[in-house]
Amino acid sequence: MSDPSALTTEALAAIAQAPGEDALAKVELEYLGRKSGRVSRLLANIGQLPPAEKAALGKAANEAKRAIEAALAARRAELEQARLADLAETEAIDVTFPGPPLGRGHIHVLTQVRRQIETVLESLGYQVELGPEVETEWYNFEALNITAGHPARENWDSFYFSPELLLRAHTSPVQIRAMQRIKEPPIYIITPGRCYRRDAPEATRLPYFSQVEGLAVDRGMTVGDMKGTLLYMIQSLYGADRKVRVRPSYFPFTEPSFEFDVSCGICGGMGCKSCRHKGWLEVGGCGMVHPQVLRNGGIDPSQWNGYAWGFGIERMAMLKHDVDDIRLFYEPDLRFLEQF
Amino acid sequence: MRISYEWLGDFLDLEGLTPKDAADVLTRQGVEVESLTMVDLSAIVIGKVLEQTKHPKSRNDLWVHQVDLGGRVQQIIAGAPNAVPGSLVPVALPGTTVPNGKVVKDMNIAGYQASGMLCSASELLLGDDHSGILILDRGTPGQSLTTVIPSQAIMEAEVTSNRPDCMGHLGIARELGAGLDRPMKRDFMPAFTGTADPPGRDLVRVSIEDPELCSRYIGGVITGVRVGPSPDWMQRRLRASAVRPINNIVDITNYVLLEYAQPLHAFDLAKLKGPAIEVRRARDRERLLGLDGVERELTTDMLVIADAERPVALAGVIGGEETAVTEATTDILLESATFSGPSIRQTSRALGLRTEASARFERALPPELALAGARRAASLIAELAGGKVHRDWADVYPRPQEPVRVNIRPSLIDDVLGTHVPLQEAEAILKRLNFHVKVRGDGEWDVLPPVFRLDVAIPEDLVEEVGRVYGYDRVAPTLPGRRHDRWTPLAPSMDRRLDDGREVLAGAGFTETWTPALVSGTKLESLRIAAHAMRVLNALSDDMDTLRTSLLPSLFDAVALNRDRGRDEVRLYEIATAFLARVGEKNAQPEEPLRLAAVATAGTTAQEGEDGFRALKSVLDGRQLGYIGEVHPAVAAQSKLDGRVVAFEIDVEPVLGAAHVPRAQPLPRFPGVERDLAVVVEDAVAAGAVLLAIKESAGEMLEHARAFDEYHGAQVPEGHKSIAFTLTFRSPERTLTDAEVDTVMAEIRLGLEKRHRARFRE
Ligand SMILES: [Zn+2]
Repeated sequence: MSDPSALTTEALAAIAQAPGEDALAKVELEYLGRKSGRVSRLLANIGQLPPAEKAALGKAANEAKRAIEAALAARRAELEQARLADLAETEAIDVTFPGPPLGRGHIHVLTQVRRQIETVLESLGYQVELGPEVETEWYNFEALNITAGHPARENWDSFYFSPELLLRAHTSPVQIRAMQRIKEPPIYIITPGRCYRRDAPEATRLPYFSQVEGLAVDRGMTVGDMKGTLLYMIQSLYGADRKVRVRPSYFPFTEPSFEFDVSCGICGGMGCKSCRHKGWLEVGGCGMVHPQVLRNGGIDPSQWNGYAWGFGIERMAMLKHDVDDIRLFYEPDLRFLEQF
Repeated sequence: MRISYEWLGDFLDLEGLTPKDAADVLTRQGVEVESLTMVDLSAIVIGKVLEQTKHPKSRNDLWVHQVDLGGRVQQIIAGAPNAVPGSLVPVALPGTTVPNGKVVKDMNIAGYQASGMLCSASELLLGDDHSGILILDRGTPGQSLTTVIPSQAIMEAEVTSNRPDCMGHLGIARELGAGLDRPMKRDFMPAFTGTADPPGRDLVRVSIEDPELCSRYIGGVITGVRVGPSPDWMQRRLRASAVRPINNIVDITNYVLLEYAQPLHAFDLAKLKGPAIEVRRARDRERLLGLDGVERELTTDMLVIADAERPVALAGVIGGEETAVTEATTDILLESATFSGPSIRQTSRALGLRTEASARFERALPPELALAGARRAASLIAELAGGKVHRDWADVYPRPQEPVRVNIRPSLIDDVLGTHVPLQEAEAILKRLNFHVKVRGDGEWDVLPPVFRLDVAIPEDLVEEVGRVYGYDRVAPTLPGRRHDRWTPLAPSMDRRLDDGREVLAGAGFTETWTPALVSGTKLESLRIAAHAMRVLNALSDDMDTLRTSLLPSLFDAVALNRDRGRDEVRLYEIATAFLARVGEKNAQPEEPLRLAAVATAGTTAQEGEDGFRALKSVLDGRQLGYIGEVHPAVAAQSKLDGRVVAFEIDVEPVLGAAHVPRAQPLPRFPGVERDLAVVVEDAVAAGAVLLAIKESAGEMLEHARAFDEYHGAQVPEGHKSIAFTLTFRSPERTLTDAEVDTVMAEIRLGLEKRHRARFRE
């Protein structure tokens, strides 16, 4: 019978030489096996020994067991570390090889831009209002101060189904409908939707397009408030370095009326080829709501006033994504749609 | 409106101002200058042609000129033959860049040296005439061309439809003067009147049939004029405005149009029958030979100027050839009138004829402008063509323009702009724009707009006048933020509510499209979905003449388009409105259901078609709100779809309406047991029916059941199929034993045997 310390030395040597987990498991079984392990067997005849020796042997056997266990754990850790260290070599892959295609579809760029616009304006407390695309002459023109024979009507050449019924030329009719429905300000709404004008299709315009208009009616609204709202919207969509300029213009439904421009993102307003050396890019129209239009919406202009603005979603998307032909948006060509 | 910068100097001191400055002021004030072209003529020299001979060798017609450039003679070759000996011409020497961008080089053309270029008006950007060399009427050889023609700056400006007064250089200069605070050199209304006897109104009788269509007609008589070319400076300004010079009388009428925005017309008085003028509607089938050489048949809604016998001009659009001023003309009738905008627009459109005159009348000109224009033209005719201007013209003015006074509480200006404009400054701006301001005792202002401003009618119009000259860039941007005691809680928009659906579709490989709502009505008819279609009365083309009643035809076209471009697999969808006319209700707005439609290609075999259908169906998640199926081969062929295509279209709003808020269920505490079951039934039995029978027999223990495979083949009898289901059993109270589940499985089998004569495969 070997003594515990010799057994320990033997076991530690075997552990140190064990090349892997299999060998270690064998060593563990050989020395620490519950019944037939060599450390256990040391104690097999302990009952016949005198008490002093009994205690000494028991202690020595326990120490041997702990030492072997510790050596096993250490060797295991060592082997695991070595395996992990080699992993980069043993399991190297070509990281440049493409993964399987996800096969995801794409959400239309105009939907994405419309969603961004809605998100920005909803953060200012505006709510989305929708309305019919086939409108009556009254909502599309008369209510907006564009009377029959008005010289500005030319700008809204429309598709008719009857003298009374037409495809809306702008989403402004929704403003009138919203005022009539809500009745008492404050009114803060945006009106996204499709519109139609009788213009032959070309790279910069189409007979069908999409607009977002905004309307704010409250007490004591000012041109400054309108400018601030436009600036907040533009900077939120295009970045805080953008500037907004309003230029006087003419619309029958606002007074004063403006067009609004955004500073060119390429030259920062210095003038370059893409802004035709103006430093500014035209975005849309805006103005203080004409008192008669408020009246047509059932709002008392002596109590309330407001501002409104509108622009083409396509125009915004063209500015944002460098699209140079508006027709691409309405052509279901996957080569275009999958770019967004 | 094309603006010649140099011309503005007639009305306004331009000292110290650049064309760019002027363009910026105008744009800031509401006359948007879209382009500014600088024409620098300082490098062009004046030459005198000494000799002109035909190039002997060239196959094209070329002319060799010896040109005196003030002490030296250069040989220059040109293609146009009009630079005859003695002509003064603009010469660009080698090394010069001509205004149109061409760089002149020394050349040798078939053995002949060419040292420079003789310039046409269009090469110098002095007009559109490129038919020949520009011939100068004066100048000294060797000197710069700018000694006779100043360098030019041409602005293209967009004038809004409410400002017809800005359709002339005078109006533009007035705007510029107000912005710069510089006085105008000239009054709006010229003082000139005729003095010759007899009174003009005794020489020509004028009458207006309908004052609605013509609110004023002035007919001035000028006798003894000498018709000839107009002076060089006038021709040059006309050319710069793209108007072709004709003769001094016609040129003066065009010149005044470009100056005052008032169209004018000169008749040869001798050719007018009567002589009388009647402004009336055309009679049925009356014809008029226009100055453009085109004879037109007129309709009874068109306004004409007629003499005692026939139409002699199409009012406000174009004059007649038969009564035109020619070299032989000595006496003229000068017309200056105010026609109704809508009437002129309608005529101009009907005939497809838009002229400088019609473009201005369309915008409703103020009648006071007619008198100013007539006086200006008459004074120029007297000055440049001789002739006696008769006194007391015919001036039929049935409804004189009423002055519109506007009262304004001046604090409104600050209230609307959101900034403080000192009252004195506001008042000064209005005065610079020719408004009269009377401050009343109560502090309100009584404002009288100038006679040429019919667009100003309410206080807000005055706020705009002050604001645009004061400068909107001086108004600080602010966000409105007031205390509200009422509000509407935010309701998610339709778009927002559809976002989930868009994500699901994207995840399933579908790409969103936006296609036009206007489609071909013929196509809808051939697909038999035109019963509720609405047809546009004034369509641009046949393929966009009808509102779609379904999104699917557009999507079929989209598949064909992508197939054409090399895509085999196409999955597309669109969310948009369909339009359904309410039959029998005239002038009613249609129903506009919001639809979601999707298409997917599905190979060529029946099995692929079936698989494609199922793939599409899983997107819909069992809702029945529209239709789904494989596109009928006949329809597919019509839409040029090769291969199988599956599609669905649903109404979106009921889906959104049915959306529910998920309620949390307690997590299962006991394990579930899964069993597979292969059910063999006749082909005609649908998977859905089998599933229903399973659920009925299984009772509460069955948590979930789903078909996952279908098999035809050797292991099942002819005319039968095997459908594999996976079933999950669970109890909320205990762990189920195999024996319990076996009992339920036996119940299920029994039920299926009874209901569907099913057999089972292991
Ligand atoms: Zn730029």
